[in-house]
Amino acid sequence: MEYLGLSLALFGAALAAALAGIGSAIGIGIAGGAAAGVMTEDPNKFGSCLILQALPGTQGIYGLLIAFFVLNKLGLLGGAGAVALNWNQGLQILASCLPIAVVGWYSAIWQGRTSAASIQMIGKKPEAMGKAIILPAMVETYAVLALLTSILMLMGVQVG
Amino acid sequence: MSYVYTVARLRGMENHILDTAFFSRLMDSAGIDEALKALGETSYSQWISQNGNSFDKAIDSEMAATFQELETFVPDKGLLDIFRLPYDFHNVKVLLKGLFKVRSGELEGRRYDLLSNLGTVDPEELKNAVETEEYGYLPYGLTDLIPQCWQLWDATKSAQAVELLIDHQMFKAMLNVAESLKMPDVIHWVKSRIDAENLRSAVRLARMKYDSAKALPFFHEGGTIRPDDMAKLLNEPQETWGRLLSHTDIGAVLGALQDSGNIKAALTDVSKSLDDYLIKVLENAKYSMDAPANVLLYLLTKEAETRNMRVALVCVAGGLDREFGRRLLSNGR
Repeated sequence: MEYLGLSLALFGAALAAALAGIGSAIGIGIAGGAAAGVMTEDPNKFGSCLILQALPGTQGIYGLLIAFFVLNKLGLLGGAGAVALNWNQGLQILASCLPIAVVGWYSAIWQGRTSAASIQMIGKKPEAMGKAIILPAMVETYAVLALLTSILMLMGVQVG
Repeated sequence: MSYVYTVARLRGMENHILDTAFFSRLMDSAGIDEALKALGETSYSQWISQNGNSFDKAIDSEMAATFQELETFVPDKGLLDIFRLPYDFHNVKVLLKGLFKVRSGELEGRRYDLLSNLGTVDPEELKNAVETEEYGYLPYGLTDLIPQCWQLWDATKSAQAVELLIDHQMFKAMLNVAESLKMPDVIHWVKSRIDAENLRSAVRLARMKYDSAKALPFFHEGGTIRPDDMAKLLNEPQETWGRLLSHTDIGAVLGALQDSGNIKAALTDVSKSLDDYLIKVLENAKYSMDAPANVLLYLLTKEAETRNMRVALVCVAGGLDREFGRRLLSNGR
């Protein structure tokens, strides 16, 4: 039971990085499929397609950020050794990681779908690039809110 | 390949589809040479030069190239087969009618020049199969259909009856292919296509003063409206058809009929409205980034383009009334 707290906290960090990362990979894959389709007909649209394809990648970065935040809080990054955690504190850190893990995973997939639709839109109407970026960016709002929630929750957890 | 890729690529390809305004301008050409020159910057130009300025062959080549290109990236080949199998059935009709003529003593009755290369079966293979009576490997129920056609011909000597039998099987095969794809939008579209064909037949039959009992064999099974109900329209005045079918999706199309008291004039209008209706049925797919029905929508638009191309070039080549030609143009894009 001595390491249960630490294990729970690390499990939270792993979830944040893994689920948000998986979501981003799926989202980028969906948008990439659409980008490839549009560029087969018009390779000149590479620049616009790349921006839209990259949008669902941010959730993976947010997940990674939270994972680093947790590792730093646990004292695992500086080489000084891990701080002592009871199971209750570990569970609090795990709970703090869940917003970005779950919202990041799900929102990245839906952002990928919206990006794909926007890529199809610029395939037909290149002049609508501005509007095409706004639509998937709206999905980003909720990933950012989840990131903020995770950060605020983590900041509130007392360790050591 | 995923449908996200497929639909994205189709969106890109849609930019190359020629619009009605282009065809309207094409019809203003002084002669066929000027019209062919105007096609220089379109995808048709390569086929025109390859086919020695024969625009009929060039249009077929363009459609064949479209099918070929789509085959490389559309995940379900069945979607293309739904469009291509009518050409197989057309070829069967051409071959059988030719053989019927030969059997009737008209030795030059075969018209291989009318065979289309747009079907799923190579016309040469189909020709050999029909001529040698070895149709065991033919798809879409043709294996059983062709012997039935021969039996019907021997019993009735009616090419029209044989043609009807072939058409019935064609729509049955289309529905079978759609059902095997398990895509509700596609199945709905095929049913609507059958309704549209039945309604087109009803307008023609009304013009020929057929009553419902005599007309019933002309209607195909499989649509959303039963052949019986479609045949009953013929007992009613044309002005009431819209009201009688108001509970169906296709009922609105009959507005074109009601606007025109003259059924002869209404035939082209209804035909055009039905083509537009078949595009409208698929309109929701436009708003989806991965709906397979987008493949059908693209093919319909491309078919409308080739139809418009044929109308425009025939008008210009034959010196026909341009205003009449413009009325025939479909609203593909």
